[in-house]
Amino acid sequence: MTTTYTVFQEQLPDLFRKWSQEYALYVPASAGGGFFDLKPWREGLEVAWEYDVAYNPPKRFLLPPRETLVRYDLRKYTAEPVFEAPKQILFGLHPYDLKAVNQLDQLMEGGSPDQNYLRRREATVIMALDPLTVSPTAFWSSIGGDHVNHGFDLYWTKIGPASFLVAVGSPRGEELLRAAGELLPATAADREAARRAKLRAHALARSNSLKYNWEETPRVLGRSWDSPVWRKYAVMCLACGSCNLVCPTCYCFDIREEADDRLEQGERFRQWDGCMLESFALVAGNHNFRPKALDRYRHRYFRKGKYIYDKIGELGCVGCGRCVRACTAGIANPLTVFNELWEESGNEY
Amino acid sequence: MTAKPKIAFFDFAGCEGDQLQVANLEERLLDILGHVEVVNFREVATRSGQDYDIAFVEGSVTRPADEERLRQIRAQAKVLVALGACACIGGVNCLKNFMSENVYREEVYGPSARWYPTAPARPLKAVVKVDAEVPGCPVDAAEFARVVKEVLLGKAPWLPDWPVCVECKLAGNICRFEMGRMCLGIITRAGCGACCVTEGAHCWGCRGLVPGANLDSARIVLDRTGQDRKAVQDLLRFYLGDTAATL
Ligand code: SF4
Ligand code: SF4
Ligand code: SF4
Ligand code: SF4
Repeated sequence: MTTTYTVFQEQLPDLFRKWSQEYALYVPASAGGGFFDLKPWREGLEVAWEYDVAYNPPKRFLLPPRETLVRYDLRKYTAEPVFEAPKQILFGLHPYDLKAVNQLDQLMEGGSPDQNYLRRREATVIMALDPLTVSPTAFWSSIGGDHVNHGFDLYWTKIGPASFLVAVGSPRGEELLRAAGELLPATAADREAARRAKLRAHALARSNSLKYNWEETPRVLGRSWDSPVWRKYAVMCLACGSCNLVCPTCYCFDIREEADDRLEQGERFRQWDGCMLESFALVAGNHNFRPKALDRYRHRYFRKGKYIYDKIGELGCVGCGRCVRACTAGIANPLTVFNELWEESGNEY
Repeated sequence: MTAKPKIAFFDFAGCEGDQLQVANLEERLLDILGHVEVVNFREVATRSGQDYDIAFVEGSVTRPADEERLRQIRAQAKVLVALGACACIGGVNCLKNFMSENVYREEVYGPSARWYPTAPARPLKAVVKVDAEVPGCPVDAAEFARVVKEVLLGKAPWLPDWPVCVECKLAGNICRFEMGRMCLGIITRAGCGACCVTEGAHCWGCRGLVPGANLDSARIVLDRTGQDRKAVQDLLRFYLGDTAATL
């Protein structure tokens, strides 16, 4: 059985202080205007326990928007790989975001392992937190984003006004928790309280749900290649890539190089990219294998609902609802699109 | 191109803010200028020559006489680079295209207005062939440096062909539309790092339309913010007056 401890809120400032001596510590906090984000912890910063969703996806910390991969010297003909992997703690990740990180872990490890990602990941401690509120556009509970039982070092569940049940996921996590001093093993009653708290959170998220079992999604898509749904929405697409860039599971990047003004030294870097951008599928000879908005729009849903599933047995969407908000055209909602396709294709299993 | 190409700067209707921005590059400029000879650059040297290979042209065409002068520059230059919003897309000068000519002529020239013929403001490319563009109001100094390097190397200068939203997301900004505000990042060419949004404002479209901009959708998206027609139109006309965005 998982080791669990009971931790009190009053112990937290001391823990945060100690952790931040060795780690860059990020916690959920207000980003103004009713938005939240993971922010660097500093003395006195108020943790937003009731945050609904972090505005930016956690992939920022593991696959930064722009990352240097190689530094080269054109005079000496030398090139050095660059690996940056700051020690960091991501505190308060909701389960759907944890699920997204677990997915990235698998995808970055497969094929030729992405060393830059893996080193950052290794240096990153993840402390998950059960949500107390749900963003109005989220639908994670109907898509398997509510129960995530691996990938964390510690998992926090608020069980009282000032107490938490903390489940241990790794020796590193337990060690960090010990900085609080003597640990109090959780009682059966505390574990029961945590179980109920989780159920409450999942119930909250159920107001936005898929109309069918999420595992059917690849088959629903398989019947929908020629659906009129694609055109209906794609005419509004601005090809802005926002839906890709805010998605915690999207990981595409472009690699470019830049030399200094004297053309002596330079760097190769990677930068987030997205399949919704018009030039994403542009290859040599000026051939674009997804030239139309409809092609790109459909492709994203096939990525989310079929291609990733075919690889790892999970949907490439964890239901965080970020893309739904980020799309200024109001067309990036996987929940409504999947539901429409299901209804249209005869609601059959 | 010869080892040390001669470059010259020219300005039409504009504020010379772009030349200033280039002059601000200081150290970097010296490195780049090591590869060129500047024969005409008001912000850097007083020397003035007429023999040049690469012409950097700032400002938009607003008077009949401008057209002739621009054609002469084009005839002389091997490479013509448009510098800044006014030169690339007409920019704020195009605001006058939506006003009565009598009104703006009097506003600008006062009682002697009738001695100064003017015409609708236009970007350089409406009159001559432009080989490369450095967009923005003002231009981004780093981008200017890069485009110059590319021109010197004989490469086709590259500009991002995706909207400002991409860079806005990289920066982690909260989208203005989610705050109930308007923003032209959805149809504007990236390359500035979405600096205006990062600074708390919104995108005005100063870098011009992104290739393939979906104007029909943008219009609906802007209208959905609940702003009145006039406010949407004003925003679209501020920089994008020479494009179909204002229709
Ligand atoms: S597709 Fe949208 S809802 Fe699904 S994980 Fe990505 S951002 Fe979240
Ligand atoms: S966010 Fe919306 S408008 Fe932008 S690329 Fe995605 S679907 Fe298209
Ligand atoms: S604030 Fe503007 S530039 Fe940024 S994502 Fe929103 S529309 Fe795009
Ligand atoms: S954000 Fe928009 S207005 Fe501001 S510099 Fe960039 S393109 Fe120009």
